[in-house]
Amino acid sequence: MGVAEVFTTFGDVYLRSLLSTWLMTAVCFAGGLALGILATVLRVSPIKPLRVAADVYVQLFRNIPTVSLLVIFVYALPYLGATLPYRACLLCCVILVVSSFASENFMSGINAIGVGQIEAARSVGLSFVQVIRLIVIPQSLRTTVLPMTNLLIATLLTTAMGSQVPLTPPELTGMVNYVNSRSVAGISAFVVSALCYAGTSVALGFLGNRLDERVRIIR
Amino acid sequence: MPVGTTEPIIRMHHVDKHYGQLHVLRDINLDVHRGEVVVLIGPSGSGKSTLCRTINRLETIDSGEILFEGRPLPEEGRELAALRAEIGMVFQSFNLFAHRTILDNVTMGPIEVLRRNRREAEAEAMELLARVGVEAQAKKVPAQLSGGQQQRAAIARSLAMHPKVMLFDEPTSALDPEMINEVLEVMVELAQEGMTMVVVTHEMSFARRVADRVVFMSDGQIVEQGTPSEFFDHPRSARARDFLDSIKGH
Repeated sequence: MGVAEVFTTFGDVYLRSLLSTWLMTAVCFAGGLALGILATVLRVSPIKPLRVAADVYVQLFRNIPTVSLLVIFVYALPYLGATLPYRACLLCCVILVVSSFASENFMSGINAIGVGQIEAARSVGLSFVQVIRLIVIPQSLRTTVLPMTNLLIATLLTTAMGSQVPLTPPELTGMVNYVNSRSVAGISAFVVSALCYAGTSVALGFLGNRLDERVRIIR
Repeated sequence: MPVGTTEPIIRMHHVDKHYGQLHVLRDINLDVHRGEVVVLIGPSGSGKSTLCRTINRLETIDSGEILFEGRPLPEEGRELAALRAEIGMVFQSFNLFAHRTILDNVTMGPIEVLRRNRREAEAEAMELLARVGVEAQAKKVPAQLSGGQQQRAAIARSLAMHPKVMLFDEPTSALDPEMINEVLEVMVELAQEGMTMVVVTHEMSFARRVADRVVFMSDGQIVEQGTPSEFFDHPRSARARDFLDSIKGH
């Protein structure tokens, strides 16, 4: 079965799996970014226990393979009385991992902010929370568009972990098993999925570059 | 100045500060009265910038006391933010918010801290920007302005808070020579309008022309102070004479 034939036979299922991958990527990245910002705000907060807790959180989820985390969510959590649907397990794992990497990106953005910016904000009378909201978050997000784009692409590829659990509809990598259990497409199914990943990544990379040019802070 | 008749707006009392081994402020006693322009001068490393920055607590002190309107400076939190809102600060490196327009820089404090509505805040900001001569740059970001324009915008940002005192920490030291005067002119006008100012500067002509009092610092101490003509024409201490000699002819 050639690539063209895979398309004609499984085209609409493929389209649904592509949309599933995109949707999970969007949810995981948005959730990861939000949690990552929260963790980072705690990491720079004046309260030491919060700083330590957030540091531990980031180190923990940055350093566990996503697949191990998924195993824990799927097989270990039920022992604690929490049985989540497979898709929820996958989304939680990816969000936790993405948030820890997002926090590291975000920290590097904070380090790029001159101390003078913070002093000026404080001398105007802004509170700690206002300084974070009005100066620190916008400036560090705008200086980390390119690493965040990398992270978005990594998120896209990490959702392939969904092939390890039964999902309906499957995402792009799980789709390969789906096709090959119903036909003899062999490598062709992989090629189609790979092209979908690559096409999406290239488009995201392009958009990330455009966004960076628009919002980058001239210092 | 009617010294002694009214309570000083700023009073520093036996203030000491160390950076590790370095004793940067030694037993500083200084009063600043309403409407007074106090110029701090001295060799680099003499502690004048540090002194200026302790007044709005960008630098903490080890011992002694700083009173603002008779009350000790709050240590942190909401009260400290409220104090800082009443004290304007102009930095050597301008420190305009790099990601916002000049107009946003000026309106941020009034909108976020004073809770003014945006339209009023913007109208006043445009007046202030016009007053310092950069109203045409309102929609640009700081990096698109010259140093002199940025510093004038930074002064407008401080004025928008209607501060009771303005601190200037070497406001012209990072400027190209041709831009120094445009910033000094704005400062002279402020002084003439009665703004209470503490100015750290190397601009001796400004000190002579505008200061009510010149405070000379060396090695973390206030060595002597007096009116500009007393200080520049008849310095009493050897250190002040050496300093004035060293900058003559430049």
